[in-house]
Amino acid sequence: MFYISLLLALTLLVATLFLAPLRWKMWVATSATALVAIAASIPAISVLSGDSEMEIMRITSPFFGAETLHMDSLSALFVLIICIAGIATMLYSRGYLEHYLDKKSSAHISLHYTALVVLVASMILVVVSSGGFSFLFAWELMTIASFLLILFDAQRQQVLRAALAYLIMMHIGFVLLVAGFAGIYSACGSGNFANLAMCFSEGNTLPIFILFLLGFGMKAGLFPMHVWLPEAHPAAPSHVSAIMSGVMIKTGVYGIIRTLWYVVEPQELHTIGLIILAMGIVTGLWGVILAAVQNDAKRLLAYSSIENIGVIFIGLGISTLAHAAGNSTVATIALCGALLHTINHSFFKSLLFFGAGNIYSKMHTTLLDRFGGVAKHMPITAILFFIATVAICALPPLNGFVGEFLIYLGMLDSIREGANTIYAAAGLLALSLIGGIVVLAFTKLYSTIFLGSPRDHHVAESTEVDNLRIAAMAIPTVCIILIGLFPQFAINIIESVAEQFHPQASSILEGYVTPNLWKISLTVWMLILVITLLYVVKSRAMKKRTISQGPTWGCGFTATNIRMQYTGESFSEGLESIATSLTQNTIEGRAVGKSEIFPSSHGYNIRHKDKIDRLFAAWWMELLHIINKRIMRLRTGKINNYILFALLFLIAIFILSLFNLI
Amino acid sequence: MAIVLNTLLIILTAIAIPGLINRTRAVLAGRKGVPFVQHLRNVKVLLSKGTVYSTTTTALFKIAPAIYLGAAIVAALMIPVADLYPLISFKGDVICFAYTLALARVIIIMAAMDTGSSFEGMGAAREALYGALIEPALMIGFATLALFCGYTSFADIFEYEQSFDLHLTIVMLLTAFLFLKIAFVESGRVPVDDPRTHLELTMIHEVMCLDYSGIDMGMIHIAGWLKTACFSMIAANAVAATGCFHWWFAVPFAVLLTGLSVGIVESTQARNKLSRNTTFIVTISALAALIFFIGYLLKLNINI
Repeated sequence: MFYISLLLALTLLVATLFLAPLRWKMWVATSATALVAIAASIPAISVLSGDSEMEIMRITSPFFGAETLHMDSLSALFVLIICIAGIATMLYSRGYLEHYLDKKSSAHISLHYTALVVLVASMILVVVSSGGFSFLFAWELMTIASFLLILFDAQRQQVLRAALAYLIMMHIGFVLLVAGFAGIYSACGSGNFANLAMCFSEGNTLPIFILFLLGFGMKAGLFPMHVWLPEAHPAAPSHVSAIMSGVMIKTGVYGIIRTLWYVVEPQELHTIGLIILAMGIVTGLWGVILAAVQNDAKRLLAYSSIENIGVIFIGLGISTLAHAAGNSTVATIALCGALLHTINHSFFKSLLFFGAGNIYSKMHTTLLDRFGGVAKHMPITAILFFIATVAICALPPLNGFVGEFLIYLGMLDSIREGANTIYAAAGLLALSLIGGIVVLAFTKLYSTIFLGSPRDHHVAESTEVDNLRIAAMAIPTVCIILIGLFPQFAINIIESVAEQFHPQASSILEGYVTPNLWKISLTVWMLILVITLLYVVKSRAMKKRTISQGPTWGCGFTATNIRMQYTGESFSEGLESIATSLTQNTIEGRAVGKSEIFPSSHGYNIRHKDKIDRLFAAWWMELLHIINKRIMRLRTGKINNYILFALLFLIAIFILSLFNLI
Repeated sequence: MAIVLNTLLIILTAIAIPGLINRTRAVLAGRKGVPFVQHLRNVKVLLSKGTVYSTTTTALFKIAPAIYLGAAIVAALMIPVADLYPLISFKGDVICFAYTLALARVIIIMAAMDTGSSFEGMGAAREALYGALIEPALMIGFATLALFCGYTSFADIFEYEQSFDLHLTIVMLLTAFLFLKIAFVESGRVPVDDPRTHLELTMIHEVMCLDYSGIDMGMIHIAGWLKTACFSMIAANAVAATGCFHWWFAVPFAVLLTGLSVGIVESTQARNKLSRNTTFIVTISALAALIFFIGYLLKLNINI
């Protein structure tokens, strides 16, 4: 019944979208998303504000037994961020697609919007499903919708390749998840997450947990399963990147938190905590170093998403380890940090991708070294991007700081209480190094795009984007600022989730975390006050004095030109010289040699690729190709051959059953 | 009362350190040298001047000095002087301190990049890399303090009063050494950076502010003093905590420690080749990890 109504709704949506006039499609899609969002966020808000969990619908599914759609506080939290990002993405899409409306066919645009609405709806289904068949169904729907969305610019060769790579990797993950659910089903007779408790108590925790970790990790972009992210994001339209990177990869985090819930045995929790922490550290460091050396804005942002997933997993790992050691204070704080960082990242990462979309739609490139001085032509985009940059660098006074502060606090508390000291110190070391390199990566991104002199004439021709896009970007911006300035209230949103994990969570939060967050809020306000005061005093003093303008000081050299400016590549050159072993560089052209006193014209282009990518160009891929080619010979296209194959199959089954083999 | 005294003492330290550095250098070089308060006079002149802005820059360039100084002021307000009490103090303020200074770094890097100058870009790129590499040393240093004292805020860590404890003394002295090293890096002194070099190609911190003049330059100088004072005060506090000394010990000790050591190092040593700097800074982080490990072993009461 549930699936039939789902199909009906889908058909209705497709029909309306395809029939709507071209310029109205976005509004139809937005209202559909708004309907879904309102329907989903009303129960979500009531669950978060204190109601216990809520059952929405009971469904019978063909496999894995009966399932329900229900909303508990963890689902509610994710529903909220999906809804906010979904609405922002819809509003943004109009301006971004304006340019394509004449180029693409009407059906193409309709398909894109259908996929966008389906993506939002399926993500909500994923987080409210109790597991089993309905979960896998929604998960697959999500994958297919996002695949179609990446494929928007399909005539470009690299888009096609990226989308296919994404589809293949997601299905490997899907198989692992199916195996995981089959594991639960065979142990307990039903594929619900809730049965994991029973399943884990029977002792085969690790294998099933690892199946889920790998399956969900594929979506989240855990190392070394992250390779699809830096390919898919530059290929996809910016608003699609925003929703995929902002919230879709978080469904992987959701899945792992959900699975983690049911592990109770301390020894196993300890092992799992270590695995998660180690994966978090490796993912975070790998992501951030690769982000810092990228020369393409969207690739850089994609790697930074990987890094943020790493940070979230470091928090989760610390929380799990503390949980295993019975230290509920640290467990609660680190869990809250990880959850808050999940929310925060969804805001600033979508804002960053929207910003990247703004510059792409004006200048048709995302290569960093084509920009420079964009802030003068697109001031509002520059300000919003600046806010997102400060937030992602986890600097006060914005939201990124609060989330990372809680993770740090969890680790320091763990260290000071002498439990899991070495693990917490490893996490601390990694997180601080990540924090440092993020600053490098994002000052590089922001400065090469928005500051300095233009490196390309397209910059001078660019203008600010339309108001609707600015409005869409304002949604995450407001959330970023509010969480940053009032963290003591933001923590209330995740209090009920933490309580679900640790019964004492709310007393810990009220007695320990909230007073601290009040102080942080005061500090942040003081920071803003001091800065404003200094600036006002300075401006007043300057009123009576002479302010002159002049060219940038060239250190005595009078013929400076724009090409001497530091590029993105030169900015991160120092880090590259340390991290050479992590990247694989492809160089086109030739650099100017040291012995050339009067250099002729040179073309030089360097790209830093992931070493992990090589895994996908290795000998076994070749082997797969060959095997594939052999098998393809069976595809003759003649119906009589296929009937023969069917007959052979039946005979084989018959013979096997004769010998009692099946 | 204690808070006001604390704030005043931090300001005093911030003013005294650059003066002592200049005097030490002058005496060691056998020069008559500038008077102790010369740096204050210089900044006073700067603060009363007009300014020149590059036509390439945006509004960010004009706000940056205010953010830079504002962040340094707020960071300095978190630092206690021995067992006095700072204005801002809460559990985990060590993290807030590190990230407030990171805000200062980010804004000055962006301001440097805003000018579009190749020299300033050079300085910005170096500052970003060295800042990234020194961050782990800072956090692990705080972790060592947290491990040994059982607290996560500066005020609680340094209020730790007990009778003489050998293990505590060892760890605290090592931590003090670590923070002194960090102070060298963060305030751009020899051997990492030389504020007095005459060649822009080899500068780090100074080259980032090439396009600042007048009141902006004055603010950047003041912020620099405050940053140095924060780190030397942490080092001095660590030493003061070993013998339950009070503020009358910590302030002169912080000034003498940083003033003399920076002065002596600058008079006797050449700065690193730039390519050596990364190794130098990573070594500090490794040292921090080693100190943490020593602290961990001592905490476990293992005889070594």
